[in-house]
Amino acid sequence: MNSPALAKTVAMKLLDLITSLKLTIVCLAALMVLVVACTLAQVNLGMYAAVNQYIRSFVVWAEVPGTGWSVAVFPGGALVGLVLTANIVAAQLRRLELSWKKAGLWIVHAGLILLFIGEFGTSLFQVESRLAIEQGQTLSYVERQRGLELAVIDVTDPAHDDVYGVPESRLARGGDVAVTGTPITLRVKGWYQNADLVNRGPADPPSPATAGVGVGVAVREMPPVTSDDDMNRSAAYVEPVAGGRSYGTWLVSNVLGAPQSFIHEGRTYQLQLRQQRQYLPYAITLKKFSHDVYPGTDIPKNFSSLVHLSNPGRGEERDVLIYMNQPLRYDGKAFYQASFGKGDTLSILQVVDNPGWLLPYISCVLVAAGLVVHFGISLQRSMRRRSAAASVQGTLTS
Amino acid sequence: MKLDLVKIAPWVAGALALAAAAVVVSPPARVRGTDQDGFSRLPVLEGGRLKPIDAVARNSLLMIRSQQSFRFEDRTISADEWLLDLMFRPQVADRMPSFVINDPEVLGLLGVQQTSERYFSFALLAPHLDEIQRQAQAAHAIDAKQRTRFQSAVVNLFDRVYLYWKLRNTMQLAGTRGLAAEIAGRAAPDAAARQQELTEVAAFRPILPAPGNRADVWRTVGETLRTAAAAPSVDAQLAAWGRLGQAWATQDANSFNGAVAELTALVASAQPDALRLTGHEVIFNRAQPFYVGMVIYVLALLAVFVSWLWKPELFQRAAFGLLVAGAAIHTLGLASRIVLQGRPPVTNLYSSAVFVGWGAVVLGIILERIYRKGFGTAVAAASGFASLIVAHHLSADGDTMEMMRAVLDSNFWLATHVVTITIGYSGTFLAGAIAIFYTLRKHLAPKIDPATSKTLVSMAYGIVCFALFFSFVGTVLGGIWADQSWGRFWGWDPKENGALLIVLWNAIILHARWGGYVRERGIMAMAIFGNVITSLSWFGVNMLGVGLHSYGFMDKAFWALAAFDASQFLLMGLCLLPRRFWAGAAASTPAAGAPGGGSGAVKPA
Repeated sequence: MNSPALAKTVAMKLLDLITSLKLTIVCLAALMVLVVACTLAQVNLGMYAAVNQYIRSFVVWAEVPGTGWSVAVFPGGALVGLVLTANIVAAQLRRLELSWKKAGLWIVHAGLILLFIGEFGTSLFQVESRLAIEQGQTLSYVERQRGLELAVIDVTDPAHDDVYGVPESRLARGGDVAVTGTPITLRVKGWYQNADLVNRGPADPPSPATAGVGVGVAVREMPPVTSDDDMNRSAAYVEPVAGGRSYGTWLVSNVLGAPQSFIHEGRTYQLQLRQQRQYLPYAITLKKFSHDVYPGTDIPKNFSSLVHLSNPGRGEERDVLIYMNQPLRYDGKAFYQASFGKGDTLSILQVVDNPGWLLPYISCVLVAAGLVVHFGISLQRSMRRRSAAASVQGTLTS
Repeated sequence: MKLDLVKIAPWVAGALALAAAAVVVSPPARVRGTDQDGFSRLPVLEGGRLKPIDAVARNSLLMIRSQQSFRFEDRTISADEWLLDLMFRPQVADRMPSFVINDPEVLGLLGVQQTSERYFSFALLAPHLDEIQRQAQAAHAIDAKQRTRFQSAVVNLFDRVYLYWKLRNTMQLAGTRGLAAEIAGRAAPDAAARQQELTEVAAFRPILPAPGNRADVWRTVGETLRTAAAAPSVDAQLAAWGRLGQAWATQDANSFNGAVAELTALVASAQPDALRLTGHEVIFNRAQPFYVGMVIYVLALLAVFVSWLWKPELFQRAAFGLLVAGAAIHTLGLASRIVLQGRPPVTNLYSSAVFVGWGAVVLGIILERIYRKGFGTAVAAASGFASLIVAHHLSADGDTMEMMRAVLDSNFWLATHVVTITIGYSGTFLAGAIAIFYTLRKHLAPKIDPATSKTLVSMAYGIVCFALFFSFVGTVLGGIWADQSWGRFWGWDPKENGALLIVLWNAIILHARWGGYVRERGIMAMAIFGNVITSLSWFGVNMLGVGLHSYGFMDKAFWALAAFDASQFLLMGLCLLPRRFWAGAAASTPAAGAPGGGSGAVKPA
């Protein structure tokens, strides 16, 4: 067999494989296995970690007990999803003829592809943040739900602050970090993703910190939290250096409340480890948060936040009521009533950026319509066959 | 004459069933001349919702004793009579066997040996209240899933004792001279403390809102007494309750009936709608449509069984008549719930069970009309019965029409997402039921009948298509609701995953059939596996206790679910056994029919 012919055979075999119905079934079954595994894993891992391990991964890894080695045990959700998408597209193009009889299936599969694209897009582009706002407060930033930053804030000018952020991932790498926009370089001397911060006892080893509250605090490393309800208490030792001069080693942590500051060439800089912030070109004021219960019970009846939206750039000034099942969609973000606190004076809004949020809506309509068309055609055909059979039988018996 | 009998059989059977159901609705007899019917309709506010006092009585007795009435001293005590005694003659109620206790260790705690007697009075518990409370508090600290059987049982008993105690102290504090005396002495120096206690422990609120207040702010007895402490007269309604209590305590029927009439008139003038609504609910509770429906479904199923042995045509038709009668009552019950609650049919786990059964029955009736072979009746009656049994067990947790938490408070999404997905459950279960029927028939029927098998397979196939459609649309609508309320379309939450599994499994069944990879037995075994998937996604994920959807946590049902799934695996095994194991195989040659059991499959295009 010459090589072009061989290549052709291989290509045909490959095409057969990628378009086969068996592959579809294998992919669907693999998805079922992943979904079951992901669901069960949530009991111990928490939702976020379980989804990352099983669904938003190309390969599922498992540790061989006692060795610390990980081996690939199963294709991950992302891989199965990709293969299934390729399978549907290829099979559709190759096998399914263009006819009215198959119109339903075309629509169904187009809708499914859109749904997969939507889920891929979500996993890549969706950003979740939150806005915790007290009654009467005005905020013009949202905080990322996951991910911290070390904010270096120039507070010299009382009218406004200049904020320079160093993301958590950069701190975790260690070494020297030049804070762009300032003359400061941070020397990262230690990073703890999760730690217990306690008052130093006599038995604790000497603290690396030489300035700030960190001198009196002992840091004990902890394993990162797994539950979605818990928060990592991260900590880092950093040494700001500017103009060849060190300003001491500071302990920063997202659980330390008071900001710590030092002065360099007449400018005051604060150091603060906090949730990563995204500043908005508009401001939101919480005018009133309401939390109603049914009389005589503590069953919540309604939560709502009356906010004022102010966007001078667009000349917009208006009040918006955000309540359950009724988010505010504005400027690519959606604000949802998520939680509350501080004796019903603090409202917590979930803020989501998802450029592909509309895709599932379209896909749902497509698939539903496609299934109706397809099953409608099948039902009609089978009814016709039944009535034909019945009339034959009728002729035979009469 | 015989032909006529066959023709009228469904009508006669159906009419008899409906007539029996109508008898159940008749108003209760007077107890020693007292107007129980009038009393049962009096509205009170409990659990955030206005309901007849009859509903409070029934739900409380159901929670405490797992029954809605019981025998005591050679009489049947209704829930209303029990509540009246509990409120106004506690010394009588305390002798009634109000508590069901099954756990031997809890009985041991009370110093009682386990015998066939499962019901115990408050008087028997009273000396051990401190110990029960101590044990319950110790167990309370432990996560509900980690508790031992004894710990769960003692916490459960404590909760029931607490409810009993609250009811006992809602109208008047037990051990005092009664509500009438409390009204007379409302300004006494020690009255304030009692008024405070009455306000705090009240199980429900029987007094209309103060003038000028919102219509749903009903008041407790304690509050009303306190506001009237310095006033020359008390609220007319409170005074009437006082007379009612006194009349019941002295068993004075005339003055009891007078107080009931007065209370009714007072509510009727202030909130006429309230009385109308509670009237409907009283009828609904009395009719117990889902219980009656369940009984009729059993009768229909029995009629189908009889039809296989004797007078097939007559009993097949009678069975269908019974099925339709059962469905009519089931439908009326659903419709009443919708009207009473002002909500779409599915609002909690209980109502989902009722609705799943209803969907399966309606589909079964349609199948029966198409195929007319009695299979539709059999599977519909069996599914209706099974799901109403499940619902019956879920109803023991109290009011099944509780108020909706804020996040669920959206009639639009309850009506679209929840209803569609529940129809998807119905379809998947019905396909499974057909497959079980197919399997049993293979093993029990004396002769192999390929045509009937083929019919059953095509029925199951059609239903799987139907189920795929509804479960897919329902799942995606759920995603859209989540996008509207939490900001993410799909969060891989256990309940969402459960729904997705049903969709995936139905899709696999259909693709496997289109590919010709499975034939008759394969499709049917897969359809039975659909029951496993659906039961797990319906109930199983609630037992994980994680995620945003875990509103209906339940641990009691774990073993029931495990047993159900095990039975389904057994049936799958039976279904897959080759044809030489079938009952009819001996009678016919193995060569008959295509290998692998006929042709349910089509070749791929």
